[in-house]
Amino acid sequence: MFDFSIVTQWIHSLLTSFLPEEVAVFIECLAIGVCILLAYAIIAIIMIFMERKVCAAFQCRLGPMRVGPWGTIQVFADVFKMLIKEIIAIRHSDKFLYNLAPYIVILASIMAFSCLPFSKGMEVLDFNVGIFFLTAASSIGVVGILLAGWSSNNKYSLIGAMRSGAQMISYELSMGLSLLTIIVLTDTMQLSEIVERQADGWFIFKGHIPAFIAFVIYLIAGNAEVNRGPFDLPEAESELTAGYHTEYSGMHFGLFYVAEFVNLFIIAGVAATIFLGGWMPLHINGLDGFNTVMDYIPGFVWFFGKAFFVVWILMWFKWTFPRLRIDQILTLEWKYLVPIGLLNLLLMVIIVVFDLHF
Amino acid sequence: MITIEPEKIHKALSDLRAEGYDFLRSLTGMDWGEEGLGVVYHLEKTTTGENKVIKTITANRENPELPSVCDLWKAAEFNEREAYDFFGIHFIGHPDMRRLYLREDWVGHPFRKDYDDSLNPLRMTNEEPDDVTHHYEELPDGSVIEKRDVLFDEDEYIINIGPQHPATHGVLRFRVSLEGEIIKKLDVHCGYIHRGVEKMCESLTYPQTLALTDRLDYLGAHQNRHALCMCIEKAMGIEVSDRVQYIRTIMDELQRIDSHLLFFSCLCMDLGALTAFFYGFRDREKILDIFEATTGGRLIQNYNTIGGVQYDIAPDFVQKVKEFIAYLRPMLKEYHEVFTGNVIAHGRLDGVGILSREDAISFGATGGTGRASGWACDVRKRHPYAMYGKVDFKEIVRTEGDCFARYMVRMEEILESMHIIEQLIDNIPEGPFQEKTKAIIKVPEGSYYAAVEGSRGEFGVFLESRGDKHPYRLKFRSTGLPLVSIMETVCRGAKIADLIAIGGTVDYVVPDIDR
Amino acid sequence: MKEKRSYLGGLMHGIGTLLTGMKITGREFFTKKVTEQYPENRDTLEISPRFRGRLTMPTDAEGNNKCIACGLCQMACPNDTIHITSESVLNEETGKKKKVLVKYEYDLGACMFCQLCVNACAHGAIEFTTEFENAVFDRSTLVMNLNEELRMKN
Repeated sequence: MFDFSIVTQWIHSLLTSFLPEEVAVFIECLAIGVCILLAYAIIAIIMIFMERKVCAAFQCRLGPMRVGPWGTIQVFADVFKMLIKEIIAIRHSDKFLYNLAPYIVILASIMAFSCLPFSKGMEVLDFNVGIFFLTAASSIGVVGILLAGWSSNNKYSLIGAMRSGAQMISYELSMGLSLLTIIVLTDTMQLSEIVERQADGWFIFKGHIPAFIAFVIYLIAGNAEVNRGPFDLPEAESELTAGYHTEYSGMHFGLFYVAEFVNLFIIAGVAATIFLGGWMPLHINGLDGFNTVMDYIPGFVWFFGKAFFVVWILMWFKWTFPRLRIDQILTLEWKYLVPIGLLNLLLMVIIVVFDLHF
Repeated sequence: MITIEPEKIHKALSDLRAEGYDFLRSLTGMDWGEEGLGVVYHLEKTTTGENKVIKTITANRENPELPSVCDLWKAAEFNEREAYDFFGIHFIGHPDMRRLYLREDWVGHPFRKDYDDSLNPLRMTNEEPDDVTHHYEELPDGSVIEKRDVLFDEDEYIINIGPQHPATHGVLRFRVSLEGEIIKKLDVHCGYIHRGVEKMCESLTYPQTLALTDRLDYLGAHQNRHALCMCIEKAMGIEVSDRVQYIRTIMDELQRIDSHLLFFSCLCMDLGALTAFFYGFRDREKILDIFEATTGGRLIQNYNTIGGVQYDIAPDFVQKVKEFIAYLRPMLKEYHEVFTGNVIAHGRLDGVGILSREDAISFGATGGTGRASGWACDVRKRHPYAMYGKVDFKEIVRTEGDCFARYMVRMEEILESMHIIEQLIDNIPEGPFQEKTKAIIKVPEGSYYAAVEGSRGEFGVFLESRGDKHPYRLKFRSTGLPLVSIMETVCRGAKIADLIAIGGTVDYVVPDIDR
Repeated sequence: MKEKRSYLGGLMHGIGTLLTGMKITGREFFTKKVTEQYPENRDTLEISPRFRGRLTMPTDAEGNNKCIACGLCQMACPNDTIHITSESVLNEETGKKKKVLVKYEYDLGACMFCQLCVNACAHGAIEFTTEFENAVFDRSTLVMNLNEELRMKN
């Protein structure tokens, strides 16, 4: 399999050959930053387009069809519209926090996004507490949402933000628990390492029952974490018009919108990395010919294939179920997911201790 | 019609209430010109189905005062506000004498025959929000004083739901006082789509008034128009042919299916299941196509006329209807699988917004809402009209009175409606589809009431005629007004999300409330 | 009423119902879509001949319309949508005066398509067509002169 670090090494040696070390690293950091932002934007556009088409298909519709062939240019047109729209300042709002909030949300989202290992050797932030950093970074987003709701000087926004706070902080817990289940199995938190360990079988197969339960819990909690249906009550449009981002317009709204979709992708990407082997191809022990063929498919195809498959499943959830009520969401979390997650963790520990996994 | 003096009316009505007349079908404000202003009460005993019509007149045009009957029937609360709004009658003892439809700064009362239109030019300023209401109280010495009440305190957390809000299904406005997520108090503001249909009717000829009924409850357009046609035909003594009766019945039932499908779709959308919403609309489209082929309209059909229907049925009508019924049955199963059985839907609907049977009757909340609370209030069974006396169908009644019961009543009514259509569709008799009527239709002097079972309850028409070609007073008993009046009772203590579920299952249509 | 379920039973039941729902939407994902692509499907669009698009004055084979300018349609209209201007013309042969239509103004913007005008017309001089693409940029274009249209057509 092609190792992307060869490319990065080559660039590094090229730059250091005629520049001092510090300047070279600085330039590399800048370049990577630009790449990350670019990838972020592209993923957002793909996600929005996918959402619209997938949702349409579930609803017996065609979705956008007018702009470009099969509506492919539609999202670009939307982004363009969003960019040229006026950013409206609300009277009596807390101006500083109001303008700050979308950037906190997008910052959290980009930080988490940078942790994802896209392909072999293609990791931006990769260190020994990778998962820990990822969960920490992604949960900063809730601060932005709370600030947005508070500073908008709108009662709908405030209710939306409060719901969102209660919900996201609760679901953080079972998300952490399900990730912990896999960490027990791998004994590492470094994302690249986790992927490497799945060379002989993805964790969802290796960890069998507890891994599968953890996967399901992770999907539910992750879905709640990004405020998507059936857990979309912070922005429940039939109750709170648009929840915490009611008062935002133009690109400020766009940042919330984009962050929501990329967060969904991040959730799917993490699920793909941790449970489905990330960029690691499907290997079946004993079938060497098959394994070699699988190895010819580049890593990022595997990664994006798995991630978008998980995204599709999450969209399937969203477009099937009605919305829960706030008390039901908390019941689901504290009475079902947390106890089950804890038991599951215990089960995984037992399995690891007695070496019952594959 | 029995006339009782204003001094004795409250005593007489409370005697009737004690006798078992527990359902106030309709309360109509009237202006009889020289004789004075007054109110007509339509009462019904729910146990036996007996009806009584009582009227009362006060000769005092300057400062008309009548006792309120809010304490006897809760339905009177909104209806008396409407009568105050339109006629300026002060109801003594009514707790909240605000205008119901018109702006607070409206001058005069438009339904009075001496009303001057020029007093109310088009105002371009905003209506000043006012959290103060007033009521009239009678002192022991017989004099009447006006007292002011505060609706919401300054430090209450009040949110506006509506008039522009995705879940109010139109321009209805609720002001909701919240304690966290819990609703402490709810205040309904109507009138954002008030068009003065009843007032307009007073200057239109009878055929012209028909066109407006379709625009009240647009999901019960056929039934509304059916009621008005029935009322005028009854007054004029026109007998319509059996063919017309069959067609009208089938159309009414198709309209009911149409309305209930839309109810299902919108409820799903309110609860966030947007996909089910599209399934409902996809299938409703087929009914609209059937309507379009026969009536030429999809939403506003203009089909019933005085003495018949506008056109004979389209040549492929029978076949299309049969195909549709065959198509809808498996689809209903699909709805139940995707939404009804769903554990989240159950969680959102079970035990939420319970309306007791007593309240349902007292508020006059008919239709699916009343039947879900255990009140068998179907006009088709109580006072059969058209073909309903001759077909076999079951009245769906449930006893829980919660959102889920209201939902299930309507879903099961779709099946019953299909059953009714199946009995009629194959044997529509031959006959004229339109009776001959005079060129200028004049209704003989008198007052008439006719009611049909609309898509969401009893739709009644009260017509007072003085023998002209215009009605003297035409009052539509709205199906939606009792339904919004129960909202305060049902929603108190529920959560905001429940308000949406309750609003969805109560299933009001705003143009029908506001008229 | 519903029986109380145990914790695990309730959980399993809940998951079961959710999967049933997902089965339905999953199936619909692959069924044929019902979207109608409107401007493209103009040729195959089905409109009932009874559909009320706008009012027109039909002509017979010679291009004549049967209107006698009696004004019944104008009287039947609840919204004052129709305004008829007529003049009296002396018929040379009979020596009698006859009303002739000069102008038939129809305001599409105020029309509520109740069909009372068509019902009122005893001569079949007006009818609704299924033409439904009536959007214009200017309100005043909605006031149409029907007999002028007729003349243009001839």
